[in-house]
Amino acid sequence: MEINCDELTVTEVNRALRALKASDRVNVIHPRGRDNLGVALRTPAAVHFKGSVGAYCGGMNNGASITIEGNAGNGLGENSEAGSIVVTGSVSTCAGASMRGGTITVMGDAGNRLGISMKGGTLILAGDAGPMAGFMIQAGSLIIRGDAGRGLGDSMYEGEIYVGGCLGELGNDAVLTEMDEGEREALAASLTAAGVARAADWKKIVAGRQLWHFRGTHEELAIWMKL
Amino acid sequence: MDETVNGHGEHLQSPIWSTSVINDIQVKAGLGTYRMHGFSTLRDRFPTLNDLVFLPAVLSRFPLEGYRERCETETVIGEDLPRPLRLSVPIMISGMSFGALSKTAKVALGKAATKLGISTTTGDGGMLVEERAASEKMIYQILASRYGHTLDMMLSADAIEICVSQGAKPGTGGVLFGAKISETVASMRTLPVGIDQRGPARHPDWMTAPDLKVKIEEIREVTDRQVPVLIKMGASRVFDDVRIAAKVGADAIAVDGMEGGTGASPEILLDHTGIPTLAAIVQAREALEELGLFGKTKLIAAGGIRNGVDAAKALALGADAVYLGTSVLIALGCNAPRSEWADNYAALGTSAGHCYHCHTGLCPAGIATQDPELEAHLDVEEGADRVYNFLSSMVLEMTMLAKACGKGDVHSLDTSDLRALSLDASLMAKIPLAGLDRVPFQGS
Repeated sequence: MEINCDELTVTEVNRALRALKASDRVNVIHPRGRDNLGVALRTPAAVHFKGSVGAYCGGMNNGASITIEGNAGNGLGENSEAGSIVVTGSVSTCAGASMRGGTITVMGDAGNRLGISMKGGTLILAGDAGPMAGFMIQAGSLIIRGDAGRGLGDSMYEGEIYVGGCLGELGNDAVLTEMDEGEREALAASLTAAGVARAADWKKIVAGRQLWHFRGTHEELAIWMKL
Repeated sequence: MDETVNGHGEHLQSPIWSTSVINDIQVKAGLGTYRMHGFSTLRDRFPTLNDLVFLPAVLSRFPLEGYRERCETETVIGEDLPRPLRLSVPIMISGMSFGALSKTAKVALGKAATKLGISTTTGDGGMLVEERAASEKMIYQILASRYGHTLDMMLSADAIEICVSQGAKPGTGGVLFGAKISETVASMRTLPVGIDQRGPARHPDWMTAPDLKVKIEEIREVTDRQVPVLIKMGASRVFDDVRIAAKVGADAIAVDGMEGGTGASPEILLDHTGIPTLAAIVQAREALEELGLFGKTKLIAAGGIRNGVDAAKALALGADAVYLGTSVLIALGCNAPRSEWADNYAALGTSAGHCYHCHTGLCPAGIATQDPELEAHLDVEEGADRVYNFLSSMVLEMTMLAKACGKGDVHSLDTSDLRALSLDASLMAKIPLAGLDRVPFQGS
């Protein structure tokens, strides 16, 4: 099955993709970097974009298996809840923003704020990540095989960030922690499954939890009440 | 002779170092941080809608019969879309989160809105199944935090609103103290139970106006171009901000003035950021007029709308509808002087009529709390009835004023129906000063 973007509007492409059945496999040709392709897909069909896509491709994905043979613009797979997205090239800013489930794999590099505000799922980057990756992560795993820019994991709540390359300056309240052997094996298995080369060494970053409470107890709150 | 006492025996007070300033410094010297509270700004002396009056029809215009004749109120947002948002009256209940509010409060608001034929709005933290069931018309907010943001919720909504910021604290994110992060709230927001949540100020996946334009297109694709998309913003650089919101394609723009309410905010943001609703409506109207979109892109006024009079004035200044937050909470029972709640007010160190303690999660009225015992203070049906009654009174007030001004539709009210009672309100709202019949310093 084939959908030709040159013959359709973005809305028509998306309506055609939403009409797919679970067992369908479709090639989407000539995406030509258009924005908002393949958003809000619920059916676990296989959707293959043959070429680079623009912003928010795979946004709010809820079950489709999306592959992009090329690069992707801003907000790839934002708020994904289920399914998978694989990008053979690189991604712009905010890939996987607020994703809640499923997996996103990027074989190239990523711009800034990769995996910002993640709430679940797994995001794997084979290359290097720009600044502020994992900003305000709440849950899920962000795995960066290459180097990570400054501000990594700034203001994390929970979740884990793994970096196989060099670390820039960690973000506010992000701290390095030890990894046990089980975690290393699980990480290696995730990368193998994603077709990403293993790293010689890994660093794990979690929340320092110093930002969780700025006035934690009810007794202290009582002071705040006095106007 | 004590020179710090006046002839009436009263202590003189420094205009700079007043007793409240002295107290403020001493409290902060103990706290080591800024002060917070909920409800609204407590500052006085700034122009509000209260500084305007209507000019009813006398001889130069003819009034409609206030108690008999019909006055239209229907309001439509996104009228060219397959599923426009149709409201029986130009009133909407604004975004207030489950978390900041109890489930009972959210459901009661939904029931009242449904009975009147108007909309409610979700707020931070997602949509409760119960509030969706109670609200026939529901606006789903997309906030910077994306707490509880799911495709199912989005697709169940009658409109989508991108909340950029709120009038009580533009430029910052939401705050929810640990006392309100119950297991249910934490689960919906993917947060650890009991932590102090401070939401982000920026959306995670767009930063600039061009990004926002694409983001709105994404929302339209997600919703299959069926329902309206709104943008809500705190009133700051309103003229520029509204022009951007209109240009990126919003069907309606809500501008929330500095009187806007909140569940929790640093006090300095409540009192010293943003501009009054009065000024915000006017600048928003001028922005839409400049783009030729006035009347097409709908304008929603928010922030300190207390009754049908304020709502009618907002419409006369250029709004198509108003958002209500604090006023409907008061109708629900906020600050009600019930004797059985006296101990709850006392525990907060306050009393009915002076409770601004939404941030503590210890709301005596069972509205701004997640405590089951306190929430039980609010009866959902009684609360819904009270809100419905209040909203109905607003509609009567609005239509009464419109008819007195000779208008058969509340949307026909305009700036020619208004006069200002003070110089600063006249200048700020660009409404002629009463008696002078022109805006001072603006030509003859």
